[in-house]
Amino acid sequence: MEENTELVIKNLHKSFGKNKVINGINFRLLEGERVVVLGPSGSGKSTFLRCINWMEEPTAGEIYLDGELVTSKNIRKIRRNIGMVFQHFNLISNMTVMENLILAPVKLKVMKKDEARKRALELLKHIGLSSKAEAYPASLSGGQKQRVAIIRAMMMSPEVLLFDEPTSALDPESIGDVLSLIRELADRGMTIMIVTHEMSFAKEIATRIVFIDKGKIIEEGAPNEFFNHPKTPRVREFLKKVL
Amino acid sequence: MSDFFSKIGELFSTPEYIDSLLHGFLLTIQISYFAILIGVALGTLIALIDVAKPTKWMVVPKFICKIYTTVIRGTPMALQLFIMFFVIFAIKGFPSIIIAIIAFGLNSAAYTSEVVRGGILSVDKGQTEAGLALGLSNRTIFFKIVAPQAIKNIIPALGNEIITVIKETAIVSMVGMYDLNMAAKDIGSGQNMASYLVPMVTAALFYLGTIYLITFIVKRIEKNLRKSDLRTEE
Repeated sequence: MEENTELVIKNLHKSFGKNKVINGINFRLLEGERVVVLGPSGSGKSTFLRCINWMEEPTAGEIYLDGELVTSKNIRKIRRNIGMVFQHFNLISNMTVMENLILAPVKLKVMKKDEARKRALELLKHIGLSSKAEAYPASLSGGQKQRVAIIRAMMMSPEVLLFDEPTSALDPESIGDVLSLIRELADRGMTIMIVTHEMSFAKEIATRIVFIDKGKIIEEGAPNEFFNHPKTPRVREFLKKVL
Repeated sequence: MSDFFSKIGELFSTPEYIDSLLHGFLLTIQISYFAILIGVALGTLIALIDVAKPTKWMVVPKFICKIYTTVIRGTPMALQLFIMFFVIFAIKGFPSIIIAIIAFGLNSAAYTSEVVRGGILSVDKGQTEAGLALGLSNRTIFFKIVAPQAIKNIIPALGNEIITVIKETAIVSMVGMYDLNMAAKDIGSGQNMASYLVPMVTAALFYLGTIYLITFIVKRIEKNLRKSDLRTEE
């Protein structure tokens, strides 16, 4: 295995009852890569992402993070190194913004409470929300919630950050704010996987595009190649509809 | 009408009557209080078993809980009380207040378990996922995230259950216990005031006052718990 491989996925399968959603995905993620996962709705792209940190436990297949096989025994430890940002933000509603940010690092003894608070305030300041530290999520706008959710994931200094349609539940104005925060993380070399419908953003940010249909990777490649010279008819058809 | 007022005068100027009412009221409160404690504790336990992951260790407990709630909710409270008094605890000299507390506690547990279960299940799945994705343990997720949010949903329905128990304890008069309901009947009977209206209205006011107080307290708690839901900052 190469030195800079973050994530290796071998022959991943996932079924919900009789419904086969992922049908044998092989995938490798390198450090510093920014992979955008595209595909029609119901193609299994979100499920694929959610299998990586076992939000959905795979039915079959192997996932390695830094060469370590993910199992039910080590999944909690693995999850600390894989941040996840959800479509519906999932800020913990009974906790203030600050409590949301410091919960995991303090509970999991990654940082002392003072340290975590300091770090959280820095990050909040950075995204222009330091005045919201003691506010509850209900008083934030969608865009603010999602940006807090992103820095909550960053609090754990993960190796990989997964974004599951991070802007799908947002109004157009907030989308810009959230995308520019993701862009900034990308510029700093963060390893990112993102499921999105924002084509222009995908084109701009991705180092590689992965196209999934019916639970399989149909095509993958550099964004230029993918958008300008798609190899498969399925992708051509998809791009014709969305671009 | 003047008779009505003279009866009120009679009730409140006769120390024995006041004493009977207060004794009855005290018994009602005692049975209700301890029954609710049992109901909440046992009901929460049943709910937790019910929402737990269906692993092989949970099959039998889940089955027992299902049977329990089905039987309790499918039979009359009065019959359950009779079975407790005349079958299970048909032991001479066994304190009837304890039997009543157990009977109402076991009954309330079945209803409370549904309330608690509904409260837990109504917490958005995304809240649990947020905790999981951060690497938190199931224990931390339950106590720090799910439980505090579930309580918000549970409190109003639990308030209703408490009110139900208090009113339902009135049937202990059927097994000869001297609760508030029985006291009213006794005071109004031929040997005493020979008029039911005033003692029964008085007993009604005792029940009403108690339940009003509980409703008030529950509303206050509810309001406090909802603070994090407010869209405006404090």
